[in-house]
Amino acid sequence: MSGMQVVVEEFLEGADAVLVFTTDGSTYGRFEDEDRPVVVVATENAVGADTFVALPLDFDSTTDRVRFGIEGALDGGIVGEGDDVVGFTQTFDESRLDTIVRVRADEFTRTGLYDLFVNSRADAQVIRDVFDVVIELGKKGQKGKPVGALFVVGDAGKVMNKSRPLSYNPFEKSHVHVGDPIVNVMLKEFSRLDGAFVISDGGKIVSAYRYLEPGASGVDIPKGLGTRHMAGGAITRDTNAVAIVLSESDGMVRAFKAGELILELDPEAY
Amino acid sequence: MINALEAVGDAISDEFAISLAVSALVLGLFVSYLIWRVTHRLFEWTGLDSTVEGTTFERAAGRFGTSTAGVVGLLFAVSAYAVILLFALNLVRVAEASGFWSGVARLMPQLVVAIVAIIVGVILGDKSRLVVQERLRSVKLPEAAVIPELVKYSIYYIAALVALAQVGVATTALLVLLAAYAFGVVVLAAVAFQDLLAAGAAGVYLLLNEPYSIGDEVRIDDRHGIVQEMTMFATHIEDNGEEYIVPNQQVLRSGVVRVRN
Repeated sequence: MSGMQVVVEEFLEGADAVLVFTTDGSTYGRFEDEDRPVVVVATENAVGADTFVALPLDFDSTTDRVRFGIEGALDGGIVGEGDDVVGFTQTFDESRLDTIVRVRADEFTRTGLYDLFVNSRADAQVIRDVFDVVIELGKKGQKGKPVGALFVVGDAGKVMNKSRPLSYNPFEKSHVHVGDPIVNVMLKEFSRLDGAFVISDGGKIVSAYRYLEPGASGVDIPKGLGTRHMAGGAITRDTNAVAIVLSESDGMVRAFKAGELILELDPEAY
Repeated sequence: MINALEAVGDAISDEFAISLAVSALVLGLFVSYLIWRVTHRLFEWTGLDSTVEGTTFERAAGRFGTSTAGVVGLLFAVSAYAVILLFALNLVRVAEASGFWSGVARLMPQLVVAIVAIIVGVILGDKSRLVVQERLRSVKLPEAAVIPELVKYSIYYIAALVALAQVGVATTALLVLLAAYAFGVVVLAAVAFQDLLAAGAAGVYLLLNEPYSIGDEVRIDDRHGIVQEMTMFATHIEDNGEEYIVPNQQVLRSGVVRVRN
């Protein structure tokens, strides 16, 4: 027994900060008299912690979650580059902490996952709402059939100038925003149209049916992804937009920023 | 009505009057109970029960082992029974109709309305404070905390005014104060919000007609660029990393040049 405790103590020794992935007040209470900085990472600050990193999505993968938390803490100046960070998180259970991880804050190359949500042109809430729509679309498909979709979020003026309409814009003179209650259904219906959806910084759906015409040179996306991903990746290199793509063939949701693939997640896991 | 009652009292014999009075009292008990029940039911049906939940009045009533519905029901039941009691007393001529009791009878409805006005005012004030507080929750400004309180006390004031006027207290001075307050609020709002109102009105036109839309290249005054965003109050135009946020009334006043190549 004591041998195990020694191992755990050694594991925790010398860590510079603690990340706690919880929304539960009593769990957070146990970390209250900790002298290292404690950062709460969750979708909402339910425990009223002073240092808090907001998760935009309930990331299913522990790696993504820890990565997002560390990037958020680095960005907020709570954690320094060379610091060791201990994270208490969930891998199997959804509510109870069951995993302790220890990482150096600069151990992995910064993927820009945090950047994608927080430092994009579009509001973080808008990107979140688009993710919600895309994940739901990926889960249910259109009338049970898998469906593909491409959302270009932010910098809408420039995106509109680098694309052309394929047909009449169904959203012309309508003023709907992603996140409005009825919009999910509308987007689902319109997802069978060809082309991209363009969404403005504030979340207004500017257009559907857009054919994107960016220059595709120098876009580095994994081989095997189709034209939809290529178009999405390329438009984010030419503009300050973020592209969120739902793949029709493998059902994965991928996000691009500055021409690079930032995030890949499986909608079935949400 | 009191005179008519007296006429009835004169016309019938004393024994009959007493038995009528007693049965009226018994019947009154039943009627009061019925009123109390109906009030409870009405509160449930109209959803008032959930509306008043969480207000100070409801909590205060709860401390006395009752609820808002209970208090209002009790008020109605008691006043109904008081009316019947007066009727019975008149019948047996214990109380002189022309004297003190007739005054009470005349004052009764006004008193009930006054009490109801106060209860409604207290609940409404509290509820409004909660609603406004909820709306302002995202505004992290300590000064904004004064607005919900202001709303609450304004409603209290009006309720008190209604109640006092009902029971016949002279309220002219208070009314003048209210008028001055309302005038002040309206004038201040008009001065403070005139730009916002103008921008909003222009925004409605721009959003409905869309003379230009996101992605168009436009020039407003000397600002030239691509429209990035259109909201109710402002239009965002971007040019080479500079984003101009132009209030909509200015768009309408100086006109827009759409640049077509």
